[in-house]
Amino acid sequence: MGRGTIEELRLLGGRLYGKVIQNINSTFTGGGVAEILSRMVPLLGELGVDARWSVIKGDDEFFQVTKKFHNALHGRSESIGPADFEIYIENSRRNIAEMELYGDVIFVHDPQPVALVSKKKELGRNWIWRCHIDVSRPNQDVWRFLEAFVVQYDAAVFSAPAFSPMLPVRQFLIAPSIDPVSDKNRDLPQSVVNSVAEKYGVPLDKPVITQVSRFDYLKDPIGVIEAFRLVRKSINCRLVFAGGTATDDPESDKVLAEVKERAENDPDIHILLVPPGSDIDINALQRVSTIILQKSLGEGFGLTVSEALWKAKPVVASAVGGIPLQIRNRVTGLLSHGIEGTAYAIRQLLSNPEYARRLGENGREHVRRNFLITRHLRDYLLLFLAIGRAEDIIYL
Amino acid sequence: MSVLAWFIANWSAVLIPLAVFTVALIAMFWLRRRGRVWLFRWVRRTKWQADSILVAALDGPSLMWCLILSALLALMVSSVLAEWKDAAVKVLWTLFLASIALSVVNVLSGLVGFYGPRIKLPTRSVLLLQNVARILIIAIAFLIALDIWGVPTTPLLFLIGVGILAALFGFRDAVPNLVAGFQLGASQLIRAGDYIKLETGEEGYVTDVNWRTTRILALDQSTIIVPNSRLVQGRVVNYGRPLKKAAAPFRFNSRTHLTELTGMKASNLKELADLLRQVPDSVIYYHTHHFFEEHHQLTPELSNDFAIWASDALGEDVLGESLASIDTFAFPNMAALRDRLIGIIEDYSSKQLYPRQAMEGRAFYFMKSVSVVLPSRYVVHDLREFVEALRKITPGSLYFHMFESRLRLGQGRNDFSIWLDENLGDKELADEVAHLDPYTYTLEGLRSALIQLIEKRIK
Repeated sequence: MGRGTIEELRLLGGRLYGKVIQNINSTFTGGGVAEILSRMVPLLGELGVDARWSVIKGDDEFFQVTKKFHNALHGRSESIGPADFEIYIENSRRNIAEMELYGDVIFVHDPQPVALVSKKKELGRNWIWRCHIDVSRPNQDVWRFLEAFVVQYDAAVFSAPAFSPMLPVRQFLIAPSIDPVSDKNRDLPQSVVNSVAEKYGVPLDKPVITQVSRFDYLKDPIGVIEAFRLVRKSINCRLVFAGGTATDDPESDKVLAEVKERAENDPDIHILLVPPGSDIDINALQRVSTIILQKSLGEGFGLTVSEALWKAKPVVASAVGGIPLQIRNRVTGLLSHGIEGTAYAIRQLLSNPEYARRLGENGREHVRRNFLITRHLRDYLLLFLAIGRAEDIIYL
Repeated sequence: MSVLAWFIANWSAVLIPLAVFTVALIAMFWLRRRGRVWLFRWVRRTKWQADSILVAALDGPSLMWCLILSALLALMVSSVLAEWKDAAVKVLWTLFLASIALSVVNVLSGLVGFYGPRIKLPTRSVLLLQNVARILIIAIAFLIALDIWGVPTTPLLFLIGVGILAALFGFRDAVPNLVAGFQLGASQLIRAGDYIKLETGEEGYVTDVNWRTTRILALDQSTIIVPNSRLVQGRVVNYGRPLKKAAAPFRFNSRTHLTELTGMKASNLKELADLLRQVPDSVIYYHTHHFFEEHHQLTPELSNDFAIWASDALGEDVLGESLASIDTFAFPNMAALRDRLIGIIEDYSSKQLYPRQAMEGRAFYFMKSVSVVLPSRYVVHDLREFVEALRKITPGSLYFHMFESRLRLGQGRNDFSIWLDENLGDKELADEVAHLDPYTYTLEGLRSALIQLIEKRIK
């Protein structure tokens, strides 16, 4: 990033001096939102913006409901009844009563805390809802329920154009980003990379295909194993499925158990439960990989794709959510639509290392220009400055 | 014995030294006269403005030097007692030394007095420097005089040496800058009003060169203070005197944007044309321009989002080509561009027997651009400053002044062209910049083309 970029960010940050930006989501750890906020909040601070971060409270029952909401918004079939909506409303009511809402801009992330906006009439302020998930084909019952809250916001933010529904509030397009100097993305010495592979018991004797994601049905871990088994019929290789769990995802233990069962103690399949905060381990596992997969059934944006591309790795990923924004098929990676298609794409890359290398290099350049945190920071600063101003050209 | 008798007995002891003195004095006067003629000729020839100081410092004392040297010669051939002769020689050498010292003091004081004000040395500093020079010369002369009279000078020299070293140590940072200040003042290589660029990147108009530092007014209106030694030791490009000043400065703006989603989408050409009629100008602007800004590193393709979508999502390559070949530069405002887009789409649709529908997820999503414009730190007053700022501004700034100002703000011409014409009065250059089609360049290519045009004009 150039000096001009930093100057521009400082200039924009200076215009927000004295304003408090209060970010609210449902967890401090685990998942893409927490990861982005853990980077974004301190960086905003360095630019002179008083950005803070709060989380809502919720019991297991509440998070089970929000998990169902999450899946349903992604288009998965879920059984959601009036009792679930009641649990959500009751928990939200408690948060509204207990939570201190002090920001000049209240920036609410994802559906879990969306109902906090009920306090807008009393408090005033600028309210923005940041939707990190793909709501292009949502379960209509869940969407209608949440929409009643979303329309009370001053603006909504989506990660891809296709996620944008017709709403009576302004909507902005802001793609998420990765931090190139974070432990998860910075360059690592080869000795560290090798030692991490050794620590997790992954021999580097044959090509390694890796998917990094939470143990979540939407990430299709079973599909990953099936695609891998199709590839291994003709090419000797290994599969690494590395993931963690998040406090707001009660389903992950169940998925992990199921994945282990499907792996059937296959010595070429490594199911790795990576503890939270093991960013260097994830970084190293991505770097030892020959190909990186993201065979999700639904994605908000799929930051793991940007992480893999940043490491110049050839990526095979499903054409869902924000992934097509990151992968232009056959230019910065390969898009697939099913298990067979994924297996075919992996075979293509393993058989053509020069082609794979070219895709990886293009992918890194694409991420450098569009999905690094500096661009994300700039978009957020502009959003905070633009909120409440209707003009198409804003002179600061 | 009477005086006459003594003179008769010793006439040679008187007349010979007298004759030697007279002859030597005549010879010295002749030499001095020749020397003065040569000196005045040299003064007339040279452009050095301080030569008169040298002439004045030498003219008076040279008379005394003639007398002293003649007396010394006379004394050498005289037969006075050895002790008397020795004492007289010492007196004469001391006088000669004092006279030389006086001349050197006058020369140094004169030079300091001459150059001091020229390099903006404060009066107090000039006096201080003159006094330092006087003391130094008198001290040296005094030491030499002591040596002439046989007084040991080693301990005194040691003390003075220590004192000088201590002083040099105390002013170790100031001395190189002071010397460099004299050099700059004497050479006149850098003067107030020059536009200079240092190898470390700082640049601007020199506003002041004083005895320690040089002040530069940068393009962002900040003042850069550079120690003189850096200017003398480093590489400095001096572009020379200021160019014609504009009636009003040009203030570069920095521009960045946020993409706003409209929630509207089209899945076939009819929907596309219908929505194109409804959407605000900012939507048309976004879909015909964002490529130039977001992919400014690429070679520009004659493309817009409508063309890409028609080809990729609908497979309508012929329509895609027609839309891609629209010459955006030819349209004076957004309304005309919108009409043209709708015209092409409807003309094509009317000939279609089987309208195509985009697959799910491949619809055309209408978006618009919200521009945020900030004043940048670059404010320029003439072509030199303008071209140097052009090298530094962000691509967003260049984009704003060349693309957005012309079409989106409906000015018909880009900002640069307007300023060159209306404030700098350079209509020819303004027209050249106005006729530059920005859509046929990458942003960096456009920057280079502008710089070349302006550099050519400056030359």
